[in-house]
Amino acid sequence: MTTEGGVQYSKIAEIKGPLVVVDDVDNAAFDELVEVETNEGERRLGKVLEVGNGKAIVQVFEGTTGLSISGTNAKFVGKVMEMPVSKEVLGRVFDGLGRPKDGLPDPIADKFIDINGEPMNPEQREYPKDFIQTGVSVIDGLITLVRGQKLPIFSGSGMSHNLLAAQIARQASVVGTNDDFAVVFAAIGVQYSEAEYFRKSLEESGALKRSVLFLNTADDPAIERIITPRVALTVAEYLAFELGMHVLVILTDMTNYAEALREISAAREEVPGRKGYPGYLYTDLSTLYERAGKLNGRKGSVTQVPILSMPSDDITHPIPDLTGYITEGQVVVGRDLFRQGVYPPINILMSLSRLMKDGIGEGSTREDHAEVANQVYDAYSRAQEVRALAGIVGKAGLTEIDLKYMDVGDVFEKEFLSQATDENRTIDETLAILWKIVSKLPKNEITKIKDKYVDQYYQGE
Amino acid sequence: MTNSSLEKTIDKILDQTEHDILSNLDGAVSDSHQILDNSVTKLEDEYDKIVADGRKEADKLEKQIIGGSDIEARNKQLLALEDAVSRVFTKALDQISNSDRNGDYANLIKSLLDESTKVLGTSEVIVFTNSKDRDVVQSALSNFAGSELSSETIDCIGGVKIQSKDGAMKFDNTIDAKIDRLKPLIRKEIASKFGVKE
Repeated sequence: MTTEGGVQYSKIAEIKGPLVVVDDVDNAAFDELVEVETNEGERRLGKVLEVGNGKAIVQVFEGTTGLSISGTNAKFVGKVMEMPVSKEVLGRVFDGLGRPKDGLPDPIADKFIDINGEPMNPEQREYPKDFIQTGVSVIDGLITLVRGQKLPIFSGSGMSHNLLAAQIARQASVVGTNDDFAVVFAAIGVQYSEAEYFRKSLEESGALKRSVLFLNTADDPAIERIITPRVALTVAEYLAFELGMHVLVILTDMTNYAEALREISAAREEVPGRKGYPGYLYTDLSTLYERAGKLNGRKGSVTQVPILSMPSDDITHPIPDLTGYITEGQVVVGRDLFRQGVYPPINILMSLSRLMKDGIGEGSTREDHAEVANQVYDAYSRAQEVRALAGIVGKAGLTEIDLKYMDVGDVFEKEFLSQATDENRTIDETLAILWKIVSKLPKNEITKIKDKYVDQYYQGE
Repeated sequence: MTNSSLEKTIDKILDQTEHDILSNLDGAVSDSHQILDNSVTKLEDEYDKIVADGRKEADKLEKQIIGGSDIEARNKQLLALEDAVSRVFTKALDQISNSDRNGDYANLIKSLLDESTKVLGTSEVIVFTNSKDRDVVQSALSNFAGSELSSETIDCIGGVKIQSKDGAMKFDNTIDAKIDRLKPLIRKEIASKFGVKE
């Protein structure tokens, strides 16, 4: 943190969307924090996007509404944006820029950290291989989350991804270790009711104690959304790598982040890329997603679950598309299951956790986990084919084994996938339901599980 | 048919009926034992499930109660600490405000002016200060060619605010602004004096 003050400039050349162009600026630095003061003395924060030819382009986080060229001053603070961090941030609620929103004073900072962070040195990265229990069967059983992983949830508008996000935040824990666990929850451009739901849900479950909330609501300036995930990740990195905690970061909704990025890009008159998003969307997203991981010789970890709503449920849309290139798998929320009233409506056939294989099995979950999960994937996939066939030839045209697979599909959706929003299932309970599903099949259909596990866990005839 | 054969037939029927009834009773007893045996397992499973659910619910409630009260206690501590820190600040600011403008203070003003002109990159500036510091500032300005003291005074504890002569650049180097910038660090120091560790 610098104790020097900054120079205040009063020559504003132009105000364009969220940007202010300041003239006759000598010593501004890229990304430098700027305090913009309005005619009425109101202060807004911004940062330098471009400098050169005596001009500085400043992006004002709280928007430029009400600013005029005359009477507006821009004070270049001489430092980049920093987040005050200490263990005291746990249990606190902040706004999208990291200012207290819970009526309490600023946390007494142990450190002030640049919110832009630094990408992890690949050589220093440790391969993630430890299981995180979310208490949600479909994730723990079939799309297992691993400490240090980045696993996005692809959803659509109006679906129950926020319920799922809150449930994961409440229930997530690390099993088999006494290490501290924390949740950093960043709500980006969510409705006020959703933000309140997140806050209340954590407060009432007692999970707020180990959580930090950053709430940027839909009526907050869009530009603030650029900062929200960065302050959240800065706090997460501090808790993980300085205090040795395992931190789960939930970012919802990254689509709103990308929209804010597009807004700035349009105001800067940059050449648009796909669907008007800037050409550097991939690079920009990676500067956030790549802040997840584990470091050699450090105790903690940062695990990310970014949530994004796909416009028109289009998985080829640039945001999910580019996110998918960076992250390690995806959890896809399915519209059909949502319409059937299934919660959580996760389409497992489109979902995948690339690091699951390293985080499950003996010593992490249970020795039969991988095989029983594969068998259930296979059976549910076959059930879907049989359902399609039944749609054409009718149930009467199905064989006895086809009917058994149909039964497997129903049990899977009713007993395994469906779960109450406050139901926290242990991994053993989840595996027991997986075996119940497998046990609906005759033994000769079980081809992916070793006999010794079948003998031990199979409950069929 | 004689009476005796009728009686015999009746006895036979009675025997048969008795036998049937007894065998039915035996069957019923053995069935009920079987049902009871099965129920015991079912009951034990149900019992275990209810106990497990109860434990889960109790854990949940425990977490809720402990988590809620921990947060509440922490928040009260934070507010009390902030109140104490504010009082320390107010007292310190009062002391600074009422301090003598002696030799050390003149040196401070000089260094503030020096720092400010360096930041603006020119000594062609207009200097603003409060009514108390006017004399000290005026005498220090002789070292800064081209600078002039504004007739307007500003409301501050001490120090200077400077502005380039065209009004395009300003630099606030008042003691108030300095304290404002240092406040987060000072708060940490004060909190540690109250025994609050990070």
